[in-house]
Amino acid sequence: MSEKLNSKQLSKKITDEYMEDAFRAHENGKLIGYSTAISPVELFVAHDIVPIYPENHAVANLTAKKGAQLCSITENLGYTSHLCAYARSDLAYRESGITVTKGIPEPDLFLACNAQCFTLTKWFQVLARKGNLPVFVFDTPEYIMNKKAREEIVKYCVLQLKELIGFLEEVTKKRFDYDRLKEVMKYSAQSSILYKKFLDMAQYKPSPISIFDALIGMAIAVYRRGTPECVEYYQTLCDEIQEKVDQGIGVLPKEKEKYRLYWENLPVWFKFSDHAKLLGSYGGVILTSLYVHAWSFEFDLDKDPLVTLAENYVSRFSNSTIEDRVDMAMGYFKKYSMNGMIMFMNRSCKAVSFAVPTLKDILVKRTGIPALVFESDMGDQRFYAESQVRTRIEAYFETLDRLQADKPAA
Amino acid sequence: MWEDLSLKQIPEYAKDPYPSIRKWIKEKGKKAVGSTIADVPEEIIYAFDFLPVSLIGTDKPLKKAPSRLPDNACSLARSNLELALSYEGDLFDGFVLPQVCDTTQHLSDIWRISFPGKYVESYLAPRQVDRPSARYWVKEEIERLIASLSNWSGKSINDKALNDAIAITNENKRLLQEMYEIKKKNPGTITNKQFFSMVKLAMQVDKAEFNKTLKNIKASLKPKKGKNYTDVILVGITCDPPEVYDIFDEAKLNVIGDTLVTGSRYLQGIAPQNGNPVEALTERHMKNGFFSPIHDNVYKHFEEVKALYKATGAKAIIYVHIEFCESQEYDLPDLKKMIRQEGMPMHILDTEYQTVSLSHLRTRLQAFFESLKGGSL
Ligand code: SF4
Ligand code: SF4
Repeated sequence: MSEKLNSKQLSKKITDEYMEDAFRAHENGKLIGYSTAISPVELFVAHDIVPIYPENHAVANLTAKKGAQLCSITENLGYTSHLCAYARSDLAYRESGITVTKGIPEPDLFLACNAQCFTLTKWFQVLARKGNLPVFVFDTPEYIMNKKAREEIVKYCVLQLKELIGFLEEVTKKRFDYDRLKEVMKYSAQSSILYKKFLDMAQYKPSPISIFDALIGMAIAVYRRGTPECVEYYQTLCDEIQEKVDQGIGVLPKEKEKYRLYWENLPVWFKFSDHAKLLGSYGGVILTSLYVHAWSFEFDLDKDPLVTLAENYVSRFSNSTIEDRVDMAMGYFKKYSMNGMIMFMNRSCKAVSFAVPTLKDILVKRTGIPALVFESDMGDQRFYAESQVRTRIEAYFETLDRLQADKPAA
Repeated sequence: MWEDLSLKQIPEYAKDPYPSIRKWIKEKGKKAVGSTIADVPEEIIYAFDFLPVSLIGTDKPLKKAPSRLPDNACSLARSNLELALSYEGDLFDGFVLPQVCDTTQHLSDIWRISFPGKYVESYLAPRQVDRPSARYWVKEEIERLIASLSNWSGKSINDKALNDAIAITNENKRLLQEMYEIKKKNPGTITNKQFFSMVKLAMQVDKAEFNKTLKNIKASLKPKKGKNYTDVILVGITCDPPEVYDIFDEAKLNVIGDTLVTGSRYLQGIAPQNGNPVEALTERHMKNGFFSPIHDNVYKHFEEVKALYKATGAKAIIYVHIEFCESQEYDLPDLKKMIRQEGMPMHILDTEYQTVSLSHLRTRLQAFFESLKGGSL
């Protein structure tokens, strides 16, 4: 028997196999379905459609600092510079073939769930026009704070999931297997619990993980949920982190971990490791964001699978009211004992960012913790002003230091 | 207040309807409920005896809104928020706000939090229209809005009240359609600005009163064909600031068809008067024309524009782009390509609610038509 792989090796293996399967999909009689990162992809998995997430591919290119180059190609096609950098880099990839990966296979169909944003619907429409391909929009009305309305929203979503099944049956000319869905849901539920457990390890002091670990760790949850290998991966990851906890190993050593920070929004992908280092030099470690928690689903396997899918997808942070988002964040502030917050206004992501100023005001009020707000772009370096961000971060930590010095000793 | 306006007065009232709304509310002792575009069924608000007012931005300076919505949000969303935060907020007892695009995704939350003393309800119409669930959901949302308004106001409405509201709104739209026909055939009679101001004002004031104005104007019109007009199709969501129409009028363009939410898309929204008002409003919603943030057949917009262009014999298409409107911006490059491939000339106007000087728009538009005609207009 081969030696047990560690989480990093396992992640690579799962990803390689997944991409190989995707590139061979047609040979194996399978279709490629492009999907939003937040979408009931369990239905794809159960129906043997290979899900591909153009957002993930975009992340790889943006992290490798290809954003500005790709985005300007798209702008030359007539698109404006303030559209989401995922979309802009993807449209440029289609045009130029430029990518730091092996690329992604071409789509046969699309599933856009607007619990995340509506940008993806429009972006997928652009891609669909190229090949006259079908797009299914899973429309998730905002999960407003009204019990009765929520019940109705879930009903509407269940109705749409049934339509989605019909759509998949029609496109593939194959009957949908509900038993298979139950099986897939079981894996999805298990891996979600483990993924959440992994994220929640940020509550330990010192924290064994930072948000940067979470961002790397979330990839498998995004593209392989609903499979046994996804469960295996998170079990391995949790075991590894638990070992760190047992040995008291933190991202920063315990005596250096001064500021446990909340991050709002997606990361600045191309500054990912720079930010970790910079913050670390001030004794800061970002522990979490609502974004990474977007894949910690709580599926109830006792319910009709379509109902629990609808309830989970419609209630993601990005589809919840600002008040609910505040409550979610407050929960993490308490649980992870955070004492600082960085609120990123991401030009790319209007869906998430336009709530940020309001969210920030309420969070500052409720926690009594000052916030660092900065505006930039998650992927397009042309909107990132290095010295400005550094100065802001420096000033922020000075403020936190001052506040801490002013605090009466316990 | 609005029953006896002259054609000349209409653009003034439409440019700033709020002083008249303020006065009217005071006189009538009624409440105003504002909503942003698009598709909030105003008949329901009307049936509750509130004044439904469509908020369609302002060109007044932005003061408070930028701290809530950054500068990459469209000026329609920002200026509507400003309108309520700084200028006319006290006029409204409540708001019903739709969720359509990424910019509006959390807008009703921002409004609710910004106006804690007011009634703020979301209207969550489906953002897909090609499946049966869409129809089911429109009906649910209509019923929820009725229940919500009833809960807030302590009143209830019966089918008759709603049917009456539908009848008045439909009459209004029919009168406006008739005006449009007169204007199209006789551009010397009603200017573009006057006509589109009529539509805008109709979306903001008491329709029973405004219908009287429309009838009076219609009766007194002396159709004038006018000379040297160039027929054009106007495409987009809104067309603001209103001075843009002055440019069209100066250039003797005759808007002979349009797809605006503050134009034909609104006028075509006549609900069937079949006795069942909720069904009628649902039916109306499902028949609405293209609106970029809502998923539909991806070629529908192009087909609509092409059909209009062909049917009217227009000479060109003017696309009104609202800066930072991402839904338009995902459509535009392909739409442009398809339209050009069909040999239909198209000019894109980049607009912004806070624009004060329109000279660059005028110059570009003139250049376009000159090149089109191979000479001056
Ligand atoms: S970054 Fe925001 S706008 Fe872009 S695809 Fe993701 S959720 Fe949508
Ligand atoms: S659809 Fe466009 S114009 Fe309307 S609110 Fe959204 S971004 Fe603004």
